[in-house]
Parts: sequence; structure tokens; C-alpha cells
Amino acid sequence: MSEQEYTGLTGRIVQYTIQNSADVYRLGFWVGLVSFIMITLFPFYWLLVLAVTPDNQLYQMGIVPENFNIGVFATVVQEYPLHHYIFNSILIATVTVIVCITLGSLAGYAFGRVDFPGKGPLLVLLLIISYFPGIAFLIPLFELLTGSLSILGTPTPDLYNTPWGMVFPFTMLSLPITIFILTTFYSQIPDGLEDAARVEGTTRLGALFRVIMPLSAPGVVTAAIIVFIGVYREFFFSFIMTDGSPENWAVLVYGILNFQQQHTQMYNMMAAASLIGIIPIAVLVIIAQEHIVRGLTAGGLKE
Amino acid sequence: MKQKVQQAVSPIFLRIEQLDEAKYGFLLVSPVFLVLSVLAFYPLVKTLYFSLQDDDLTGTHPIGEFVGLENYVQILSGDANAILSSPFFDLQAPFSSALIVTLLITVVSVAIGTVLGLGMAIILNKEFKGRRYARTIVILPWSIPIVIQGMMFFLLFQPSLSPFVEPLANLGVFSDNPLINSQDSTIIVILIDIWRKIPFIALIIMAGIASIDRNLYDVAEVAGATKWQQFRMITLPQIKPVLFIGMIFYTISSMKIYGIVEASAGCATVPTLTCLVVQTFRQQRWATASAIAFITALVIAVIIMVYIVRFRESTNE
Repeated sequence: MSEQEYTGLTGRIVQYTIQNSADVYRLGFWVGLVSFIMITLFPFYWLLVLAVTPDNQLYQMGIVPENFNIGVFATVVQEYPLHHYIFNSILIATVTVIVCITLGSLAGYAFGRVDFPGKGPLLVLLLIISYFPGIAFLIPLFELLTGSLSILGTPTPDLYNTPWGMVFPFTMLSLPITIFILTTFYSQIPDGLEDAARVEGTTRLGALFRVIMPLSAPGVVTAAIIVFIGVYREFFFSFIMTDGSPENWAVLVYGILNFQQQHTQMYNMMAAASLIGIIPIAVLVIIAQEHIVRGLTAGGLKE
Repeated sequence: MKQKVQQAVSPIFLRIEQLDEAKYGFLLVSPVFLVLSVLAFYPLVKTLYFSLQDDDLTGTHPIGEFVGLENYVQILSGDANAILSSPFFDLQAPFSSALIVTLLITVVSVAIGTVLGLGMAIILNKEFKGRRYARTIVILPWSIPIVIQGMMFFLLFQPSLSPFVEPLANLGVFSDNPLINSQDSTIIVILIDIWRKIPFIALIIMAGIASIDRNLYDVAEVAGATKWQQFRMITLPQIKPVLFIGMIFYTISSMKIYGIVEASAGCATVPTLTCLVVQTFRQQRWATASAIAFITALVIAVIIMVYIVRFRESTNE
């Protein structure tokens, strides 16, 4: 190869590439990194430009804002109850996290540390749930949670327009990933610690709550964050289980969509509302990036 | 009071203490499976049952008589297209038929998103100053609410606002108002899906790269292998299982795409399979909706089978 002569511009580029492969490699790395970051951030930047541009100037705007109207962020909260939708979202996500962690810790402990027959098939059963699309559960769940079904003559409670109408489907959707993450973390705790506690006379459940749970706190935090983000960003059941008014526990999905459907021309408001809706998640991602990375990989790689 | 509670509870604790390992395990997993029986397994079975009944648009309950596989036959043969808001499968109008649009979105998005995700994983796996910040930034698209992902691109492709729509239209890439054109909107939905899924697949691939034995690279270095050869001969084969799992999750998630469609172009313009189920559900056609939901699940199952077969073949070589 090196004996060959390269001529012309292309030839010289090829020759340079071969002789300085480390430089070219480094250049490729930086070009790649910068493009990924720009592609990632551009839509966020566009939201910001749109939000701060006064609405009478929206139609001749460029990529850089010319005037700043910061007041739009206050308007979105004061005139449209965006904070109400976000509050509903956060509350429903928090309740779902508590339910999932409570139920999931027990199961995660059993899957990670207790030997019992049928463990494999039960884990597969959990995987099967996460395989089915939300629409495969929709109609019977809707029937069950809106009081249209009667069991032994008594109708089920009507949970449409209540937080529970969303918490139940979200729990169902989030339990498998919670258990996968917690199983991974529980199984990594050395047996000796639990044995030591048991020898000292702690009961089985005592060992679980006083020794194992505190030791796997990072796992619990990871699972909690993944479930919280999952619920906060969810669309399908959030869209179906309320009528869209904030008094009826409508969540962020409607806080954003209502601008699109009812106030069709208020593009700067849509952008401002979207940016505010991102804040809780952005804060979480910034403070808990490591947890999210670990949780996603632990949950995703569990076969 | 506290003592009373303790007295009442202690026999239960004692019983738990005396259980053997297997029973203790079952006891701990029972709450989860009890909850999931009601919220997951019962709905799945009932959806299957609904899909075998007839629609009843006049009675008190939207479910009519048992008709067996009639709904499936009608949907797959195209006879049901008359009652659907968009056809299920119609080669004459590919961008308005649900199955074709959904498969198109999935195939293109998974193919491009996986390649870009692999690139991102390789870049973010290198040690460099500010890597932590770079990782934090690139996770954002995946983690923000689905409705906002859709809204962002809705605003990016608004012809009255966006400085890109006109140049793209002049180049002949898009029409003047891409958000009301089915073909353009399908491309936009694919763009959103790739944009938000790259971090997801990249993180999974990164975990795979991190678990590769560093010695392999040292040996390759000594043997004089170039970076590209190292990537092809070491990295790619080693991350294959992880890549495969990541692609399966990516595929499942793209096959049920809905929220970003509703928040950007709308279901009338990009009719995905989930759109079709929601629309039939709203028309009180519960049986038809259930049948489409199960067909969607079956299509996903077939795709996963293909993945598994291909994966087996490639590892047996």
C-alpha cells in the first residue's frame, strides 16, 4: 500500500489520512461530538427563540431572537393554569413511584436473593407485559376503571377524571422495569451481610428492611427516578383517562395540547409552556444523570 | 395501642419466619402478581375475548355476539376499511394506511437511529473533559415528555414560523405545509422518533462497550490493527447481544408510536396502528379496536421472531 503513489486532490487527502490517522481520528471525534450536541439542543433552542419573540413579530423571525419578551413565561402560568397541570403530573408520578417501589422491593428481593421454583417463568411473565403495546390493555382497563364493569352486582368505582384512573395503568406499565432494576441491585449485595444480621437474631423481614433495603438504596433511587420520568413523559393513558381540564386531574399532556387545539395561533405560548414543562425533568437529569444511565442499562439489559 | 398492634402482628411474623425458602419467595412476589393479574393479565385476556365478538353500536354495551375470527378476517382482507377512519392496509395509498405507515416509520427509524446511536456510544465512551455534561445533554431528548417532543417539531415545521419550511419546499424535499401532507409528516415523525431514541440505544450500547475486556484491544494494538479493524473485529462482535436487545426494545416502542403523532401532525395525517385503535375505540367499536390491538401485537411478535432467527444465524457462523 505505502509504495503506491497518490495523485490529485483526492489522492493527497487519502495519503494524508493514512499518514496522520490519529489526527483524522481525533477530528472525526470532535466533529461527531459537536454535531450530536447541536442536533440534540437545536429543538430546545428553537423553543426558546419562539417563546421570547413577541407574538406580533413571530411571522418574520429568523433563527436569532431580535426582541425579548420574558413576560410570556409568567403569562403561561397566570392566564393558563400550566402550573396546575404540572402539579398534577408530579403528584401522580410520585404516587406511582411510591406504589411501584413498595410492591417492587418485595418482588425484587425475592427474584434477586431467594431461591424458589418458577422464578424464571415469572420473570418471563413480567417481560411479556412490557412487550405488549398499551392499546392491548386499553379497553378492559378503561371499562374496569370507569365503573362500567360490575363484579358480583356491584359496579367498579368510576375513576375517570381522578388521579387513580392514571395511577393504576402507570403502576401496571412501570412495575416490570422497577422489578428488573431492583432485582439487579439486590442480587449484587454480598450474602455475608444478610447472614450476619440473621445470626444476630434479626427476623427475615427485619433483615430485608434494616439491612438489604438501606444497602440497595442506590438501586431504589435509580428505580424511583426511572419510574418518575416514565410517568411524567407518558402520553397514552394520560390522554385517555381524563377529559383535559386541570380540575379533573388532567396532566401535562393536556396542558400542552390545549394550546395547540384551543389557542391555535399562540405559538410563543406553546413554546413557553413546553419549556416550563421540561424544567422538572431537566433538573432530574442534571442531578441524577448517573442513576438514569445505570437504570436504563440495568432494566434494558435484563433478558 | 402500640403493644396491641405488636401482639396482633407477631404471630404473622413468626409464621413468615417459619416458612421454607420457596414459600417465602412466593409470599414476597404474590402482591405484585396479584396487582398485575387485575391490571395486566385480565385486560390482555379480555381484549382477546372482545376481539372475537361483534361490535354493538346500538346496545347498552359496545360488545355484541361471538363471531370468532370474523373481525380479524375483515380487517386483514380490507373489508373493514369502510368503517375505519384510515384503511388498515392499502397499497394504493401507502401513506394513509396504518400498517404500512407504522412499519415504514419503524424500519427507517430503527435502521438510522441504531447506526447514529452506535456512533454516539463510541464518542461518549471516550474519556474527554466535560464528558459528564455531554452525557447529560444527550439524554434530554429521550427523557422529556412525549407531548413536548411532538410539540417541538410541530413548531419547527410550522410554515408561518419556521425559516426552514420554505427552503425545503424550494428544494423539493417538502411541500409548502408539510404538517398536512401525509408523506412529509411521516418523514417528520420518523425524524422525531430518531431524535428521541438515539440516546436510548446509545446508552444501552455504551453499557455493552464498557463490559468488553480491555486486553483484547491491547493485543490488537500490538498486532498492528487499525482503529477501524479493532472496531470491526472486536467491538462489533462483542456488543452484538446488547445491540440486538436494544434494537428489539427500539422496535417495540416505534411500533406503538402515537403520542408524538398526536402532538405534531395528528392522526388524520399520519394514521399509525395505535391511532387506528384509539379512533375505533372512541367510535364505540370496541371489538374492532381490540382486534387491531391484537394484530399489532402479532406483527410485533413476528418482527421479534425475525430478529431472534437472524441473531441465532449470525452467532452460529
